This record gives sequence, structure tokens and C-alpha cells, in this order.
Amino acid sequence: MSKNITNRIQWKDRMLGLIVPVLVLIVWQGLVNLKLYSDLILVPPFKVVSTLVYLAGTGELTTHILVSLRRVMTGFLFGATSGFVLGLFMGLSESTNRTLGPFIKALKQVPEFAWMPMIILVFGMDELAKNVFIAIGAFYPMVYNTYQGVSGVPHKYQELARVFDFKNIRFLSKVILPGALPSILTGLRLSLGLSWMFVVGAELFGTESGIGYMMYSGREMFQIDVVMAGLVVIGAIGFIMNALLKMIENKVLVWNVSVEGGQG
Amino acid sequence: MYLLKGGRDNSMNISNQIKSWIGTITVPLLLLTVWQFIASQGYILAMILPSPATVFSTFITNITQNDLLLHVGASLKRVILGFLIGASSGFGFGLFMGLSRTAEKIFAPTFHVIRQVPVIGWIPLIVMWFAIAEVPQIIIISLAAFYPMTLNTFAGVRNVRKEYLELASVNGYKGIKLIRKIIVPSALPSIITGATLSLGMSWGIMMAAEFFIDTSYGIGTRIQAGRSSFNMALVLVGIFTIGLIGYGLTVIIETLGKVVNQGRDVNKEI
Repeated sequence: MSKNITNRIQWKDRMLGLIVPVLVLIVWQGLVNLKLYSDLILVPPFKVVSTLVYLAGTGELTTHILVSLRRVMTGFLFGATSGFVLGLFMGLSESTNRTLGPFIKALKQVPEFAWMPMIILVFGMDELAKNVFIAIGAFYPMVYNTYQGVSGVPHKYQELARVFDFKNIRFLSKVILPGALPSILTGLRLSLGLSWMFVVGAELFGTESGIGYMMYSGREMFQIDVVMAGLVVIGAIGFIMNALLKMIENKVLVWNVSVEGGQG
Repeated sequence: MYLLKGGRDNSMNISNQIKSWIGTITVPLLLLTVWQFIASQGYILAMILPSPATVFSTFITNITQNDLLLHVGASLKRVILGFLIGASSGFGFGLFMGLSRTAEKIFAPTFHVIRQVPVIGWIPLIVMWFAIAEVPQIIIISLAAFYPMTLNTFAGVRNVRKEYLELASVNGYKGIKLIRKIIVPSALPSIITGATLSLGMSWGIMMAAEFFIDTSYGIGTRIQAGRSSFNMALVLVGIFTIGLIGYGLTVIIETLGKVVNQGRDVNKEI
């Protein structure tokens, strides 16, 4: 009975959330019907959907998405791995942190996009340049969050580990990494989100494929339906990536909380 | 946390401070030496790797003879305008959703879905709608400033302590007075965090906006010019300038935040 009521309340909340999108669609369609703007600037909502279906049907969309995903994964892998390793070392050793910390902080002051012209000068315009650029974006949140997690492992765990005579690899895998895991996962999620943002940026620059390129060429050819379809796609993929990593995070955090609760 | 750290730093004796200072400058100094050595040996084209001395002299001539400061000024104007628009609307929106659960239920789902679209992704659409000029740049920068401010204001308002609200209602605080005297002051730390993040985002996105939307003035435009004329020294000068100003902006807003927030730690102790 009470479950029924909660369900009904949740359902009502969801309906409230639909008010804004429905209003936007109505106003949008209304503006189209009034013919105030040319169809180079405003296309009906239905046209965006049909363009999306058309692009998916020709296989063009899938190709662009796969190319972008491959770029993101390569850059993310390099950036996040190096960020993880560096963050781990900085968290474990105070002198490493003292030496590298200020230097990384200084580099962080430069917005990622500012590196792009230099990367292009050094690496040219090909895949490598894009991977390096995405890797830089993925690096910062990972190094910061890993460091925070590792240096924040409670001292009592470390003492306990000493009592049990845990050393090196075992100390890392049994004490440090599990303790730092929530923070590391947050770093991974932020890092992947930024990689996805930077791939779209990197593809607006001299390239022949990818979802960012699709939007850019849509702009060049005044196909606003393609640009809007691209927006829907990058939003959806960003949403899925975030949701997936959050799901993993929640699973791990539940486990973590229950361990903490057991102690209390 | 902050206090704990500060306390430890204060208790550090002088020789330790010198040690930590030496540790800090080791890496940059080492890099600079290696950089100068490689550049002077000519293993790598000066086009790709100009010597530190060349970069420094380019920096000086750009400030004294060229219009580097004009470019910096144009960028700063854009960032500050975009930040003010984005952060203030983010503050209003966050406050609104924080105060009313119904407003949250109506607007939050759409907000969170839209937020998933990377800010850069909006550039082609915004350019098509507002043409190539100052307006699309400022819109993109405000959008970047909008998200963190909304999220942090919302969280701050929602986390106002129940005791304060009860005390306020006992004293008959309502409406604007309740917001001004109780809710905003209690949410202030979170709001300041939001403003700091917003300004950082604005500064970062400004670079992207200047790369993708043509303008004649701007520090990003200057870097692009350096790239297309294969002038690596100019690119590096641009990067250095950007980092320096970004750091300056962060310091300014953090100091402002501390000033505004002064004395609040005392409240927390009670």
C-alpha cells in the first residue's frame, strides 16, 4: 500500500520534470510556425529527429561516434594512467609531493585549450595531436583525486597495516588503494567527462571524422539540423558515460560505507 | 582541514622551510637548464623549440612594443562580462531551485540533461544563431560559468542548518529577509566555491571560444597567430601570459572569498 503511494509520488515528480521540455518543444514549434526565422536558423523539432534517424540509417553517425570514442579512450587511457601513477607517488611520498606538486599546480593554471596551438606545432594535425590534447585534459582530475585519496587514507589503517607487517605491494593493494578508491573513482569520472568535452573541441579543428567534425561541417554547410542532432548525440553519450561510472562508484561506495558502518 | 594544514606549516622550522622551497624550485630549474641546453645544441629546430632566452625576449618585446596588453585586455573583458552574466544567473537559478522543492522537480531534470552537453559543443550552434562577433563568445563563457554556480548555490541553500531555519521562524523572519539574513549567509562558503569554479571555467572556455570564433583581439587569437606563423616563442609567451593571469584571477577571487567569509569559522566552533 505505502509502496504504491511512493510510486505514485515518484511518478508525479517525473511528470513535473517533463513540463520544461514539453514547453520548450511547444514554443520551438510555435516559432517555426510563425515563420519569423529562416530555416537556416530554425528547423522544426521533428526535423532534428528525422535527421538523426537518417544519419543513423546511412551509418555515417555510427562511424563518427566510433572514431570519437576511440580518440577519447586512447587519450583518456594515457592521461588517466599517468595521472594515477603520479598521484599515487605524490600521495605516498611527501618529498615527491613537495617537488612535483607546485610544478603541476603551476601547469594547471594554463587552460587545456591554450596548449592546443603548441601541440599542433609539435605533433602536427593528426591523431597523435588529438590524443595528446585529450590526455592533458584527462590528466589533471586524475592526479588531483588520486593524490587526495591516497594522502587521505586514515592513519589508523596504516598503523594496523604495520601491526600486520604489510609491505610494499601488499600494503598498496590491501590498504592504500581500497582506502583511496572512492576518490580515485571520482577522478576517473571527472577525467572521462573532460576527455569527452575535449574530443569535441579537438574535432572542431582540422579533421575529417568524428562527432565534433560532423557538427562543424554542419555549421559550414548551414545544416542546423545536423548541428542540433550532433548536440543531442554528444549530450546522450556524455550522459551515458557519467551514469555508467556513477553506477560503478555507487556500488563501490555502498561496500565502503558498510565497512565503515561495521566499525562504528 | 585547512586549519590543521596551516598549523603544521607554522610549526615548521626555518631549515625545513628552506628545504621545501628548494624542493619546489628543483623541477622548474632542472627543466629550464635542460631546455636551454637542448636549444643551444640545435638538435631540434628553433621553430619547434626556441631557447628560454628567446622566449623571454619575445615576452618583453611583446609587452613593450606590440599590443600584447591590448589582447589581454580584450580577453579579460570577455571573461569578466561572461562570468558576471553566467554566475549571477546561476546564483539566481540555484537559489530558486534550492528554496522551492517544486521548482527543483520542474527544472532540475532538464538542467541535468542539458549539463551533459560539453560547453564546447554549443559553439557551432551559438555561432549560427548569433554570427561571428563578441556576442557568441560571451554566451559561451556565461554558459561555462552558469553550471558550477547553479550547482554550488543549490547545494549551499539545501544544506543550511535546520537550527538556523527554526531560529529564524521563531523570530518571524520571512521572504526576502529570511533569504538575506539567514539563507545566503549560511550558504556563503558553497557559493564562494561556486564562484571560484565558475571563474576558472570562464577563463578556460574563453580560450576555446577565441580559437573557434574569429576575433581580431584576444590572447587566444594571439596564440593562434603565433601558430599559423610558426612562431613557437610567441605561442609560449601566450601560454605563459594566460597561466599567469589565470593564477592572478584565482588568487583574487580566493582572497575575496576569504574576506567575505571572515569570522565564519568562529561560528562553526559554536
